[in-house]
Amino acid sequence: MDTPLRKLYPWFTLLGLVIGCLVIAAFYKDQHREWKDWQRQYIKDELARASTPEQRSDAARLQLEVRQIVLPDLDRVDRCTSCHVAVEDPSYAGFPLPRSYHPNHDRHPFNKFGCTICHQGQGRATTRDAAHGKVEHWDQPMLDLKYVQSACAKCHLPGDIPEAPQLARGRAIFEESGCIGCHKLHGSGGVVGPELDAVGAHRSPEWLMKHFKNPAAVTPGSPMPPLKATDPDLDALTLYVLSFTGEPLSAYYVSMKTIPGPLAGRRLFEEKGCIGCHSVAGKGGTVGPALDEVAKRHNPEWISAHFRNPSAVSPGTVMPQFNFNEQEIRALTEFLLSLSDTNIVGFMKIPSLMTATERGKAVYKKYGCAGCHAAEGKGGIPNPNSKTAEQVPGLKFVSEGYTKEELKKRILDGQKEIPVMDPKRPPAPLYMPAWRGRIAEGELADLMEYLLSLAPKGEKVDF
Amino acid sequence: MLTSLWNSFRLTRVGRSVFRVGLPQSNLERAQVAISSFFLHFQPAKVNRRSLKFRTTLGLGLISLYLFLILVATGVLLMFYYVPATEHAYQNMKDLEFVVTAGQVLRNMHRWAAHLMVLFVGLHMCRAFYTAAYKPPREFNWVVGVCLFLLTLGLSFTGYLLPWDQLAYWAITVGTSIAGYAPLIGQKLKFLFLGGHVVGESALIRFYVLHVIVLPLAAIMLIALHIWRVRKDGGLARPDEAQPARQDMPQLPVTKTYGLMELARGSTPAVGIKPEDEVFTWPNVVFREILLFMATIAVVLVLAIFWNAPLEQIANPVHPPNPAKAPWYFLGLQELVAYSAFWGGVVVPGLLVTALIVLPYIDRKPKGVGVWFSKERKTAVTIFTVCLATAVILTVIGTAFRGPNWSFQLPWRPVHVEEGSH
Repeated sequence: MDTPLRKLYPWFTLLGLVIGCLVIAAFYKDQHREWKDWQRQYIKDELARASTPEQRSDAARLQLEVRQIVLPDLDRVDRCTSCHVAVEDPSYAGFPLPRSYHPNHDRHPFNKFGCTICHQGQGRATTRDAAHGKVEHWDQPMLDLKYVQSACAKCHLPGDIPEAPQLARGRAIFEESGCIGCHKLHGSGGVVGPELDAVGAHRSPEWLMKHFKNPAAVTPGSPMPPLKATDPDLDALTLYVLSFTGEPLSAYYVSMKTIPGPLAGRRLFEEKGCIGCHSVAGKGGTVGPALDEVAKRHNPEWISAHFRNPSAVSPGTVMPQFNFNEQEIRALTEFLLSLSDTNIVGFMKIPSLMTATERGKAVYKKYGCAGCHAAEGKGGIPNPNSKTAEQVPGLKFVSEGYTKEELKKRILDGQKEIPVMDPKRPPAPLYMPAWRGRIAEGELADLMEYLLSLAPKGEKVDF
Repeated sequence: MLTSLWNSFRLTRVGRSVFRVGLPQSNLERAQVAISSFFLHFQPAKVNRRSLKFRTTLGLGLISLYLFLILVATGVLLMFYYVPATEHAYQNMKDLEFVVTAGQVLRNMHRWAAHLMVLFVGLHMCRAFYTAAYKPPREFNWVVGVCLFLLTLGLSFTGYLLPWDQLAYWAITVGTSIAGYAPLIGQKLKFLFLGGHVVGESALIRFYVLHVIVLPLAAIMLIALHIWRVRKDGGLARPDEAQPARQDMPQLPVTKTYGLMELARGSTPAVGIKPEDEVFTWPNVVFREILLFMATIAVVLVLAIFWNAPLEQIANPVHPPNPAKAPWYFLGLQELVAYSAFWGGVVVPGLLVTALIVLPYIDRKPKGVGVWFSKERKTAVTIFTVCLATAVILTVIGTAFRGPNWSFQLPWRPVHVEEGSH
């Protein structure tokens, strides 16, 4: 009876060996991680660089371990420092990646911010490709450094921070291009295109760039007209749109948006009537000095002190003491400093200083009219099969074709049905939305003022 | 040397208290060990020589059992890490992959063993059908087997949700919506499973409890019953010619028995009848079983080392993939549902399960038992084969040939639809 069993014995041996090898292979694969190599090298360096006994004992205590920054408030665990082990050590400045020092993080300490909140990528991962997010099924690969400013908008208002000029530039282009005419953002905007609230979370920069240059190429059948802008401008726009992540952050982080910046300062500046005595861009009172270049004459501390008590820093001044609180003082100071910053002067204009036409131009921008009618109502945006030469009509000569009443009705009621050239072809994709209930009375008046001013002087066309 | 070590341990007071028989040296001990060991007593002390042949069963039932054991072991280990909460579940998967020692291998083993178990339980059922192993006296054990098949599907399906990624979320959404097509109770049933109208936190905790407690306990009890019944119903099904007619054999005195093995009704290997056709379970069966277990583990390990279990993006209830697919073993149903929700989602699966359960009570003639594709059962074999082929074809179509909006596509030329296009 035992004889036939004997032929089973080699199989026991073979399968036993196979299983043994497989278990070893599984553990080898599991244990062999590249971060260990980087940390070994770091420990070697630390031991070599240690000069005092204290440093030597510190270096000797270093262990191979997964290093992580746990950020429950940001819903993140960032293990980037497992490889980027020296990001906090300035003596590693200039070392090759991943062991180099990360400069400029003093205001964003790693233990409070981690890495992926700005750089994106996959914080929990401990292999290079997975951590950098360049793997399948990870929607947020690491941001190219040229787009990294988009992350600032998670906590700061775009335009509020002079350190992120690209973000401010992107926002300005976004507003000038009239994106909001068709797309909804934070609850306001048109309904022709998709909402943009979380578009940055699942679109890549490459996709966005392609989309701006030729929307139909990435979204077949899209009626969106291509944007005519230079590549750097489109990069800035991409950066700004990438900042729409829709990611909910805890109060500690978003409170940055309520900490007064130049935008809040501008509002205060208007409310308190500063312009009665001071001038900006040549407009305003002459009792006090012009403020355009104030940042060049005084440092921020001086300006803040001046708001606290004007006569303390400039004796004999007639400026009254306003009893601003510290937040208001900070906001006003930021605002004054921003006046000399050309990057953000675009939307730092003070509405009460503008003429009705200028305000109308801002309204034109705010509601995204330029998205279809082009900047300054030049027209020329294609709208296939519409009777008006397959284009969205320009607005330069509305003053000749419409009375004020007709124009007002046209804006408020819109035109859903666009007359077509050829009834057999698909209808024109772009149409005039009704703005009733969405545009304020004063804004409408300003807008019409602007539209009627568009006609070039001395030119006439026949209708 | 190992043998002498073992022997010296066996003879100590402790050794004797644990191992009552020890490594059997005589036939008496071979019988005793099968009877007195808890782990071996599920099997008779002696089995028909035919049971040893690989082609008798292809080892499918045993492989299913081994996969279940692997699943229990890896599953318990995974439970040390897993938190069934929507905000943690997906992150747990990432931590398993990136920081838990052998976490990824563990998860891979669990995942692939689960898929294999569905496959092998299905194959085991086909084997039982094609060798007519459901015929009297084994009718009830077939019914237990059908229940085990459904439990296996339930275990796999409930486990599918736990990683909380897009794949999991939408597969369960689609799968439970198929259940919702049942008349009258469908929507109630779906609500009961999900603890709500959509897949969310309460669905996750329900699936988790079903997956780690309710269904495994039910499966363990039914598996024990299933194996016990195999023994009680007279061992593996075998054709009549394998058991010689009793009157041809000299009847031994009734008092004489070998060991204490069972003397039961039916085709039990009766004592005194052609004893040379039977072999002792130890070591003939046990050794082969251990070998098969080793082979199963080896295959699962290979799969787990070289192929990672899928993990897509974190579940996002507002971004359904196109198409959203149920787990592969339900894709045949989903394909039918695409034609008609009522017929595909209710009538066909209902009829199939009913047919499987009543089969042994309808097809009772003891023809072709223990013979593969017996010529005496042409009709039954044909009907079953047609149903099986249809199920396989539908599943393959649903898996490989269905693209966005459930439109037909060739697997080597997938259609890509831009997400969120307008």
